[in-house]
Amino acid sequence: MSLTNPTALMWLLLAVPVVIFYILKIRLKRVPVSTVIFWRQIFDEKKPRSLWQRLRHLVSLFVQLALLGLLVSALAEPFLASEATHRRRIILVVDNSASMKASDVAPSRLAKAVEEAQGVIQGLRFRDEMAIVSAGTQPRVVCGLTGHQRTLRDALATIPPTDGPGKLKDAIDTARRLVSKDAADGESRVVVLTDGSGDELAKVIAEEDKKPEAERIKLTVIKVGQQTPNVGITRFQVRRSTIDPIGYEVLIEITNHSDEPSGDFRMELTLNDRTADVIPLNLKPGETWAKTTQSTTADGGVLTAKLTTKGEKQSEPLQDALAADNTAVALLPKREKMPVHLHTAAGNLFLQKVLEANALVQLTSSRKDMPKEFAANAIKVFHKDTPAQLPPGNVLVVDPQNDTNLWKLGNKLPTAIVTKQEKDSPYMAHVRLDNVILPDARMMTFTPAAEKPQVLASSLQNEPLITLIERPEGKVLVLTADLDRSELPFRTAFPILVMNTLGVFSGAAGELRESYATGAIADVTLPAGEFVLRSPDGTTRKLPAGPTTTTVGPFDACGVWAVVPPTPNAAPVEEFAVNLMNKAESDLRANPDLPTRANAQDAGLVGGFGGRPIWWYLTIAAFVLAAVEWYLYQRRWIS
Amino acid sequence: MPLFDSEFLKKLEYLSLISKRVFRGSLMAQRRTMQLGSGIEFADHREYAAGDDFRYLDWNLFARHNELLLKRFQEEEDLHVYFLVDCSRSMAFGEPSKFDFARQVAAALAYIALADLDRIAVTAFANDIVADFPLTRGKGRILSLLKFFEGLEAQGEETNLERVATGFIHRDQRRGLVVVLSDLYDPNGFERGLDLLRHRKYEPFVVQVFDKYEKEPPDLLGDVEMWDVESGNSRKVTVTEKNLKQYRQLFDEFQTTVQSYCNRYSLGCTRTSTEISFDELILKMMRQAGSVR
Repeated sequence: MSLTNPTALMWLLLAVPVVIFYILKIRLKRVPVSTVIFWRQIFDEKKPRSLWQRLRHLVSLFVQLALLGLLVSALAEPFLASEATHRRRIILVVDNSASMKASDVAPSRLAKAVEEAQGVIQGLRFRDEMAIVSAGTQPRVVCGLTGHQRTLRDALATIPPTDGPGKLKDAIDTARRLVSKDAADGESRVVVLTDGSGDELAKVIAEEDKKPEAERIKLTVIKVGQQTPNVGITRFQVRRSTIDPIGYEVLIEITNHSDEPSGDFRMELTLNDRTADVIPLNLKPGETWAKTTQSTTADGGVLTAKLTTKGEKQSEPLQDALAADNTAVALLPKREKMPVHLHTAAGNLFLQKVLEANALVQLTSSRKDMPKEFAANAIKVFHKDTPAQLPPGNVLVVDPQNDTNLWKLGNKLPTAIVTKQEKDSPYMAHVRLDNVILPDARMMTFTPAAEKPQVLASSLQNEPLITLIERPEGKVLVLTADLDRSELPFRTAFPILVMNTLGVFSGAAGELRESYATGAIADVTLPAGEFVLRSPDGTTRKLPAGPTTTTVGPFDACGVWAVVPPTPNAAPVEEFAVNLMNKAESDLRANPDLPTRANAQDAGLVGGFGGRPIWWYLTIAAFVLAAVEWYLYQRRWIS
Repeated sequence: MPLFDSEFLKKLEYLSLISKRVFRGSLMAQRRTMQLGSGIEFADHREYAAGDDFRYLDWNLFARHNELLLKRFQEEEDLHVYFLVDCSRSMAFGEPSKFDFARQVAAALAYIALADLDRIAVTAFANDIVADFPLTRGKGRILSLLKFFEGLEAQGEETNLERVATGFIHRDQRRGLVVVLSDLYDPNGFERGLDLLRHRKYEPFVVQVFDKYEKEPPDLLGDVEMWDVESGNSRKVTVTEKNLKQYRQLFDEFQTTVQSYCNRYSLGCTRTSTEISFDELILKMMRQAGSVR
């Protein structure tokens, strides 16, 4: 046995004053009493045994010297020779992914893992070294190799819980590199503290087993948590409808990660805290339920899906071990009003009503004289009377009666039947014009200014009936049919065509703002100025000064992240909805085939002499001895 | 600070008034004898006999019944109150000392007795009688009595109540009330001394005084040198919690013994701590005596 700190033995000199005070007869405290009648009865009745009477002070001295000896020995930190020769290098990989926030073991799986890690740190022996790597969202070396326990404990306490996916493979690779940095003598071991969710770790272990003995690392997995059922949202996206200008579609997927039925619960969908939909659910064991729901609103905002239990009066959060996947958010883009100007010389109520039917259209119209100027952002609709030079911007022309800079009109087609149409074009989505008769449709010859017109619908004679012309200054869609004489007023095709056209012209049709899964990154284009990335809990991270395109993330918390100027109450430049959406993390059942240990003690990691360093036992022994001495002498049970 | 200052004298006067107005005759004085004589309170009639004093003939009765009957009156006599004040060294214990407290109580009782025209005498004792204040009467003697009390000192060796009582009863004096003010820490037992007084037809009244630290000793745990202030002897002992517990038990038993003894022989008994003031004690004694009658 050797000593880590032999200079501490100097404290043994304290024995000298202890002995001196023992040898020197200290004058007893003189206490006056009015009578000894009672004391005489007490002391003369039961006289102490003379041998003990003589020895009791000597025993007290020995107890005090032993107490001093134990404390000084503890300060000297003795260690066994075997501890010195068998140094260990332990890399702790602590999984702080979303599933480690599960509360099936109080207070959480991560807290339990940290507790186990504290035990491993406590058991570090002389010359042992340890490093700590966190394995959630983005593997990070929390503490490099050191034998200083307080540093390790402090570093361990800084590992935050995250909503991100587990990156155990990357973390173990990092641990492997730390081990190989100093491949000296002694034992190296990677200890993974995880709940064993997902199959990533099993793959890592399988790969490790295939490696040659020399390259293999000693991997120990300590499992925390139980086989806990969980119901969670595994997909949640929202996008604007491609048909309905104010409609939106929500895709939601919920999975029951359990071998038991989920029981009754419901999914509440709210938009800006206003209930949009409620769906009661009861999932079979292992069932995944997915649905696309549709609704309408011009408003944008945060769409929230929340799993709740059915309450008599008020809904309560779903009682399961993982709260992170019981709520999901998505960002619904807001629909802005679009100005549309209709110029129709003869007037057409059908066309006017079709345009007015679009809730987003701000319609202005003119009849006799062609306006000289149009609003720059307005969509121009010309019926019959068309300017010779089409204005810039997006233009819809219906039944043109005169030539323009883009086309020359020819003869009328008496019975033009639509025989071909471009089904893949967004303008023609859900538009069914097969065999529709368009009498008196005009033949058209496109000028070179039209460059490459795209015919979306044509007649049997291959005459273009609906044509898209893409100009640098804007798109032009021209329909040569006479609305009054054709079948179009009796069909839904024309209103749908107009809706599609307006939607494409406004650029908002089918707009999608993707919800990100935790751990994902996103690109954002920043305007000039300073910006920060604000997480859902309000903490901020500085971004490079704009104008630039930068990458934000990986997102490690669920909720709405925002890129904002670093001024209070500033409007966000960009927002990101982030959800767990990870079946591996939502599934709280550990892989049963994973070779795991129940705790650090079971893994033989709570090392030292019987689990703790020798000095610890010496200190405990000193305290026990002090307690005995106090009980026997200070409490005067020995007299 | 003098033991008997002007404040003390005011309190004496106050106690005397309280004794007369509220607890008249209830404490100790104005005892009537069983003899019939020249008092003023009518007792009964008897037939006239030759030689009887004509002044006591009931002429009214003679006028109505033609019968000579003599009126008889209950004779009053003054009470003799003796104060036995313990001035052994054990009485000097405490803050304030039991000795000071006992002297104040004795002076107050003596003043009340003198105010009631009783006769009082004071005997100071320790292991034997050490000083006497002779039998006296009248409030005018109070100052010399207080001077006597002030001149007393805690002295002597261990209390020996039996020896003191023996010396006291062999004096040629009338029987009366004997107020014993002491802590009663007599190694041979206090009972023997009180028995002697009782057997000689004295009426003992016990005022047992103790200090709060005697009942609940402080700072005694551990190795200490216990010094008996009465005998002057020292003893090195180790006091444990258990010893303290035993001590408290013995002390309580002692007090119970004192009370039981007095109850058995119908003796007046007051046990008091020096924590309360002497005037409070006197009032308490008056109330007790008043309620008994």
